[in-house]
Amino acid sequence: MTGKKALLISMLILAGMCVLPLGLGIYPQHVLIVSLFYVMMASSWNLLAGYTGQVSFGHAAMAGIGAYASGILAAKAGINPWIGICLGTVLAALIGLGLGALCLKMGGIYLSLTTLAFSQILHIIIVNEYDLTRGTMGLQVPSLMAEYDKLVYYYIMLAAAVLILSILYRMIHSNLGLNFRAVQNDELAAKSLGVRVLQVRVLAFTVASAMAGFAGGLYGHYLLLVTPEIPSLDLQFYVLAMTVIGGMGSFIGPIIGAFALNILAEKIRDYGEYHVLVFGLIALVVARFAPNGLLGLWKKFKPIKPIQAVKQKAFPTP
Amino acid sequence: MKCKRRITAVAVALLLLCGSAWAQDTIKIGVVGPRTGPAAATGAAFEEGIKLATEYVNSKGGVMGKKLEIVFEDTAGAPDKAASGFERLVTRDKVVMVLGESHSSSALAEIEVANRMKIPFIVVEAWADEITSKNYRYVFRAGPSNSGVVSKTIAKWVVHEKFKRAFIVAENTDWGIGIGKLTENAIAKAGVPSESMITERNSQDHYVELTKIKAFKPDVVLAYIYGVGLHYFVAQAGETGVSSKAVTLDGAGPPSLWPDYWKNVGDYGDLECFVSSMHEKVELTDLAKHYREAYTKAFGKAPTDYKSRSIFDGILIAADAVSRAKATDADKLVDALEKTNLKTTRGMAKFSLEKGGAEYHQWEPPMLVIQWQNKQQVVLYPPEAATGKIKH
Amino acid sequence: MLAISVMNGLVIGVIYALAALGVSLVVGIMNVVNFAHGELYILAGYFSYLFASALGMNFIAAMLIALALVFLLGIVIEVTLIRPTYGNDMYSLILTFILSIVLQNAYLLIFGPYPNKPPLWVKGAADVFGLFLYGNQRLAALIAGVAVIAVVFFIIKKTWFGRIIRATSQDREMAELNGVDTTRLNMLSFGLGCALAAAAGVILTPVFPVTPTAGVPVALTAFVVVVLGGMGSMWGCVVGGLLLGLVENLGAAFISTGYKNVFGFIILILVLLIRPSGLFGRAKV
Repeated sequence: MTGKKALLISMLILAGMCVLPLGLGIYPQHVLIVSLFYVMMASSWNLLAGYTGQVSFGHAAMAGIGAYASGILAAKAGINPWIGICLGTVLAALIGLGLGALCLKMGGIYLSLTTLAFSQILHIIIVNEYDLTRGTMGLQVPSLMAEYDKLVYYYIMLAAAVLILSILYRMIHSNLGLNFRAVQNDELAAKSLGVRVLQVRVLAFTVASAMAGFAGGLYGHYLLLVTPEIPSLDLQFYVLAMTVIGGMGSFIGPIIGAFALNILAEKIRDYGEYHVLVFGLIALVVARFAPNGLLGLWKKFKPIKPIQAVKQKAFPTP
Repeated sequence: MKCKRRITAVAVALLLLCGSAWAQDTIKIGVVGPRTGPAAATGAAFEEGIKLATEYVNSKGGVMGKKLEIVFEDTAGAPDKAASGFERLVTRDKVVMVLGESHSSSALAEIEVANRMKIPFIVVEAWADEITSKNYRYVFRAGPSNSGVVSKTIAKWVVHEKFKRAFIVAENTDWGIGIGKLTENAIAKAGVPSESMITERNSQDHYVELTKIKAFKPDVVLAYIYGVGLHYFVAQAGETGVSSKAVTLDGAGPPSLWPDYWKNVGDYGDLECFVSSMHEKVELTDLAKHYREAYTKAFGKAPTDYKSRSIFDGILIAADAVSRAKATDADKLVDALEKTNLKTTRGMAKFSLEKGGAEYHQWEPPMLVIQWQNKQQVVLYPPEAATGKIKH
Repeated sequence: MLAISVMNGLVIGVIYALAALGVSLVVGIMNVVNFAHGELYILAGYFSYLFASALGMNFIAAMLIALALVFLLGIVIEVTLIRPTYGNDMYSLILTFILSIVLQNAYLLIFGPYPNKPPLWVKGAADVFGLFLYGNQRLAALIAGVAVIAVVFFIIKKTWFGRIIRATSQDREMAELNGVDTTRLNMLSFGLGCALAAAAGVILTPVFPVTPTAGVPVALTAFVVVVLGGMGSMWGCVVGGLLLGLVENLGAAFISTGYKNVFGFIILILVLLIRPSGLFGRAKV
């Protein structure tokens, strides 16, 4: 697939996404809006786990930082939600930078444990500081618009998702992206070729955290209620399952995974609260037998070049 | 050509008619409640009440000549799930009215959705004053409120039993924090010194807190913990010797009535007091007797958790309003609800229309204080309904 | 207040140490962190509840069967999920994390959201040194926990199997050259790690009943203890576990009850900042 062709196809998909909600009722619109939130979360987590080999369990916590920062500013200080979302994004980026710098030296298991610990600390703080956050009771936050309208929210989320995806796409298909892959594939080799492993990792962690913070802020102002369920292990699991099932380390995989799993969740909900179990089982089977996800399976039977091409180019580039 | 088109038009019209006739075969009312989470047993109690209420209403001819259908949405006791579940009932299931809930924090999230989507919502067992004191047009409460329970029952009972020092333990939710504060103020006014503490509702270990309580030397501990957390609290109060010196009151009630109460607390559960609106010797109306009989017949046991009967009342009130409004239009339903004057299991239901405070759109049913004495329920308060005296 | 908090800290600390020993064993030998450790702890609690309360077995028999079943399940997990991931610790992290969520939701479906409690071994409470009343079951848990830790130490330090384990965790290639079947050793030690989680589970669940998600804080604390004590160090687990139990309970008593579990995580971050190899770890990253 050439760049032009890919651009054309994504333009067509985007146009389709623009007209899609018009004929739908409020309920399907809601499902699409939530799916777009997960697209942002899964794609940015994929930048960490899929492209630089850092399994963070604190991505949902970053969304929580964005949601609570903006929510508290708007609900307690009356600050415009858009300004709040920007501040939340910056805060998530800063925390991401600090956390990244703290544990990236250790890498691997230490990173996963520390991000997990971080998300637990955040959870406990939110629950205990109920004067500020209203704890498990949930913080009611203002809407992004004067007159609550699902369709407007849909277009805001769509625009945000397109923004995030295009930033990710450019990063991955630049020199930086090659460095990411180099770091993931072989740390030592990358180091010897002059890739500054630590900086590359910390940068990816900061960018991904900022994206999660941004998505979380928007999501909070859509739900109008920010609760500790946003920075929870459950949400973290959703994001992980969507990425793993869709295809970790591919650009389109998490997008497909997010839509597929969120819509599936709504369908399963009709029969009771089994969707997490079903996701888990699917994710377990996929992760065990098809580590490249559904997209990888599809590619296996219908091989397409770009990913391999990028991989080969990764090493010679300093 | 013309003829063909007309036939098509007629066919389409017929299909549409049939479709809408099918769609409106029943009147759909939504119920929200926790089927999972720390108070999942309340969801089970709600389901029992729903079954009995639907049978009762439909046996009397349904509503507006149609069958009543209840759609139950699980809220898991989590405000975010409650708000999205409420919205799902309205947008996907197209219910005309919603009722239920037994977590104040969830209810406070839901009333915002009800108000935004203009859907009548009858809160049944969420007690926080803010639910009605926001004075939303579409929000009603046919059940206890924090200030009502404290001023009419708990504070009066504390005075009635001549307790000298009270310790208040409240969970960190809208209900717990709210009712804890109200109790503190009410018993201070009555001259009973107290100390209070906020606790985490899912906490399994209360030893440290109980040590602090013991140091205060109270003769009554007012525990506002809703969920299985109360079981841990009661069992550990026994282990640490707090309950040998002080009477414990479960300020919510149902946790002391759940089937696994005795399994979790063992012998330490005896002599514990709790709040309830149901006791076999204190039935206020003949409908309450009907409920007890229907329940025993349907489930092969006597009703214990009073919240199953609260949802029963709520559905009766909702069905009555739809029947009188003869419409499913939200504003007509609100008008009908405001004129409610209906016999329920807990007396005549009637919503106050006085604006400004928590009384607006509120009907406060009477509550009892009951004590477990040798695993038997003994009513302690109010005195006119008492079936025995408190034991220490 | 001080005395009862120290007592609580000791009881919980011993259980933390026990759970952490299981994690540490697996990390030392296989370099795998099992995120489903807490769910196996819970499973043992459910089994012992099921056999003792529902089927009416003797509680000791029920506990032993629970232990054996979790050991077998551990072996099954190792063979089906962990074995294909050797050399890629990221992959095993993701797999065991998904497994933990699957197990939590399976428990929810099978056992429901309510807490379940195996029968108490002993009833009532005892007066400890005239200082405070303390639940007998908690005292029994303390004794049982210490006994199991002693048995584990004996196995690792004094037996032939223990020598193989220590050799392999120090130098895997050398052990292989000396004829150790590391594949089988992996399988056995993973099973043993799970069985240690199960031991902690059967001991503590009569005090703190099981719910589907009650394993999460236990596993997280076990991870913190392992990092604190130094990855792969047994004494580190014991000292770290007791330290964490004491810090948590003293913090809860004198600082804030709500922040009880935060103290452990703060220690974790401090350790990572100051001494990433932990208290007893070899200074090697």
